[in-house]
Amino acid sequence: MQAAPTPPPVIDVDGLEVRYGEVMAVKGVSFSVGHGELVTLLGPSGCGKTTTLRAIAGLEKPSGGSIALGGTPVYSAPLRRNVPTEKRGVSMVFQSYAIWPHMSVFENVAYGLRVRRLPKAEIAREVARALALVQMQAYADRPATRLSGGQQQRVAVARAIAFSPDVVLFDEPLSNLDAKLRAEMRVELRELQRQLSFSAVYVTHDQEEALAISDRVIVMNGGRIEQIGTPQDIYDRPCSRFVADFVGSANLVAGQVRPGPVTDGTVLFVTASGLELRVTATAPPTGTENTAALRASYINLAPINLATGNAPAGARNVAQGRIQRRLFHGDFNEYVVAWPPGQLIVRRPPTEVLAEGEAVAIWFDPGHCVLLGDPPHP
Amino acid sequence: MRYLITPLVLLTCGSLVLYPVVFLVSESFNVGEPGVFPPQAVGWSNYLNLYDDSRILANTALVACLATVMAVVFGFTLAWILTRTAIPGRAMLERLLELPYYMTPLVGAMAWGIIAGPKTGMVNQVVTYFGGSGDFIDVYGPYGIAWVMALFEGTVAFVMISAAMKSMDPSLEESSRVMGASKLQTALRITLPMVAPGVVSATIFVFAEMLGSFAAAFVLGIPGRFYVVTTAIWQATLSYPPEYGRAAAMGLSLFLVMLVMLGLSRLILRRGSYATITGKAFRPRPLEVGGLRYLLAGVCWLYVVLSVLLPLAALLLTSFQKFATVLLAQSSFTLDNYRSALDMGALGSALENSLFLGFVVASIAVPLVSVLVWLIYRGNIPGGRLVESVVMFPQAVPRLVFGLGLLWAWLTMPIPIYGTLWLLGIAYLTVFLPLGMRTMAGVVLQVDRGLEECARVCGASWAHQMRTVTLPLLRPGMVAAWLLIFIAGVRELGVSIFLMGPNAKVVAPAIVNSWLSSSSELSAAMALLQTLAVFAAVAVLFIAVRRVAGEEKA
Repeated sequence: MQAAPTPPPVIDVDGLEVRYGEVMAVKGVSFSVGHGELVTLLGPSGCGKTTTLRAIAGLEKPSGGSIALGGTPVYSAPLRRNVPTEKRGVSMVFQSYAIWPHMSVFENVAYGLRVRRLPKAEIAREVARALALVQMQAYADRPATRLSGGQQQRVAVARAIAFSPDVVLFDEPLSNLDAKLRAEMRVELRELQRQLSFSAVYVTHDQEEALAISDRVIVMNGGRIEQIGTPQDIYDRPCSRFVADFVGSANLVAGQVRPGPVTDGTVLFVTASGLELRVTATAPPTGTENTAALRASYINLAPINLATGNAPAGARNVAQGRIQRRLFHGDFNEYVVAWPPGQLIVRRPPTEVLAEGEAVAIWFDPGHCVLLGDPPHP
Repeated sequence: MRYLITPLVLLTCGSLVLYPVVFLVSESFNVGEPGVFPPQAVGWSNYLNLYDDSRILANTALVACLATVMAVVFGFTLAWILTRTAIPGRAMLERLLELPYYMTPLVGAMAWGIIAGPKTGMVNQVVTYFGGSGDFIDVYGPYGIAWVMALFEGTVAFVMISAAMKSMDPSLEESSRVMGASKLQTALRITLPMVAPGVVSATIFVFAEMLGSFAAAFVLGIPGRFYVVTTAIWQATLSYPPEYGRAAAMGLSLFLVMLVMLGLSRLILRRGSYATITGKAFRPRPLEVGGLRYLLAGVCWLYVVLSVLLPLAALLLTSFQKFATVLLAQSSFTLDNYRSALDMGALGSALENSLFLGFVVASIAVPLVSVLVWLIYRGNIPGGRLVESVVMFPQAVPRLVFGLGLLWAWLTMPIPIYGTLWLLGIAYLTVFLPLGMRTMAGVVLQVDRGLEECARVCGASWAHQMRTVTLPLLRPGMVAAWLLIFIAGVRELGVSIFLMGPNAKVVAPAIVNSWLSSSSELSAAMALLQTLAVFAAVAVLFIAVRRVAGEEKA
């Protein structure tokens, strides 16, 4: 029996390079996006994520590598091929929304359909459908200049999906909204993408947003990819200091790997203060690793003096410390704890209240403390 | 293709712009037969002889300094009042302050000649009537010229200084107040240092403009044989034999001085301006000035009266009289001036020619400039900056000097277009390119690049994107640019005065000639007819544009 041929990825980026004069903005980026998948490009400003997205849309001309959409190369340095933007059939939501001020909401959304010369009745039907999906059907006749920021954002999304594209590119679409609206739109966008099952590349610098909406996250730094993985992967097993620091809240502990066998995926790590910890190694250690990352939310604390409060029997990675500060965040309490290697940030649910100055037992699972590899690009 | 555009544009614009300058330079070194190209003998004597014209240079410096000081004082006062204080009727005053620009220095100078000329000027008539001397006030001379230049060419100081004041973040002043500084301390320690670069830059800019200014010195200087550089250049070309070399040497020297000053002005603005870093316009909260606000509003109104209402009234009154007088008892009203202005084939055809030229030049320049601006700022063509500086070059050359260069350039050309409307059209197109470029650049840069990119992502081709997104967004700006060029064309003086031929007259030089050779009553009628024609044409266009826009909406 022959295996069914795997369909080509919807987007395939290979060795992409973009140069602005002397500056390399993107230095050899490769990834692919499957059908109906939402992949996020996450990174600080200037990491090359928006440039990568614009190169996929054909709005930046790369200097090397290749981009294929649905198996067809649209940019290829060796083939000297560069398909113009409008022939690529992708769609995009711009950070500035780019709502055309001289058109009504209807005309904005109908634009891509009219360009494709669809019959009038179909255009009206598709526009109504797209506007309904973003709950803007009541605004069809409104001039585009008379919309609030949130409404403009919805129109921009409706316009991007109106002509049923296979690929929608999002360039920081929520960054101009206030925090509450942003959280709502995040859910709606994800629902919409699932429902219409288009493939999406989503650029953001907000790690929380990236973790919440993506199938996979690509963390970028300095024009290169640091790590690709599911949100859970990225959060639980950051592969580099940069990823651990940029995504989520992590404590970075300095020390050295003790040579020895890998047991249950863990190795022995000795901090500069002499504390011995069992930490997860995602790859066999080379012996030069000097940092372990420890998520603030995975650390347990208990008052030391109460009989029931010490670390439970069988707990590993046990230490002692003292609460220096408690910061009430509402959804959680953040503690600054002094412990042998230095300072430790710990997040605990608001039900667990510890007093400042209190001595505490600290323990955490080896699975939640990760040995960081050497930086992939020295 | 992309690589062909730059050389093509450079070649076309370059020859339009630089060709006349080559002739100017050659003529300034020509010590042989004047007007021959290439010169039979070359030397420095034209430049060395400038030393003998020190009287003229001193006159120019005196007038320009006086006019600059007055213009900056007016401009600063008005800008401060209008951007910083809560005075009644601020919005309307802001509109009214644009009017002196539309009056033009030529019309303004004639009006002030009628108001404050010696003996027969309106003020002196009144003074004489009450038994005073007829020499109470005399606008013919350096002080009068400077006064008129400050009133009618000083508006640029107001515009530049208010831009500097508006671009200042009000929170900078507010934080000074919060730290405990008084209003006065805040003004001295925060506001003044912040706007100082803008003011200094505006001062230098205005001074350069005043050096190259022509109309006021012409109208109010020639009758009393008071010459500045620009009028001396004009005079030199009329003498017999024509002193072309002397005119060219003066013109080039003037050009170089102005170029240095304009560069300096721009440098100061760029280097020293903390205020304009963001490029954002703020509307600072206006200062509450209590009862003082009526006085401050009065100051603004005084300026409007002196620069617009009084001159217009004087022209109007004069144009309907046989002999200009303010003593209405002695006046005899007549329509003769208008009749002869229109009968006189000269003005009739000149007005027609000017309107025609304005229309054609604006209609050619706007599409041309739109394409250029788009290529330079959006098309990323190689050498875009070079193209920009070539196209903007005529801005740095005084009109009169540019006209001089064009005169020789086209006299020498085998194509016989000298003395025809063709040459005037080419000349107008060349000198108005910078005006069009500046207007359109402002418009193009305001259009977010994403609006165009989004159309492409939606599947529109370049041509479709241009038609459905870019052009509709640019249209209001294009209409504005068209109007500006049209108006500038109808009232053009500096270039036209050299290039006008007996069969190709235009209106501004015709008015000047009438002022110098016939009566002020007739000239007033002609000036008003010119103003009226411009207004009528603009109104017609506005109605037409609105009607077209209305039909599109329906």
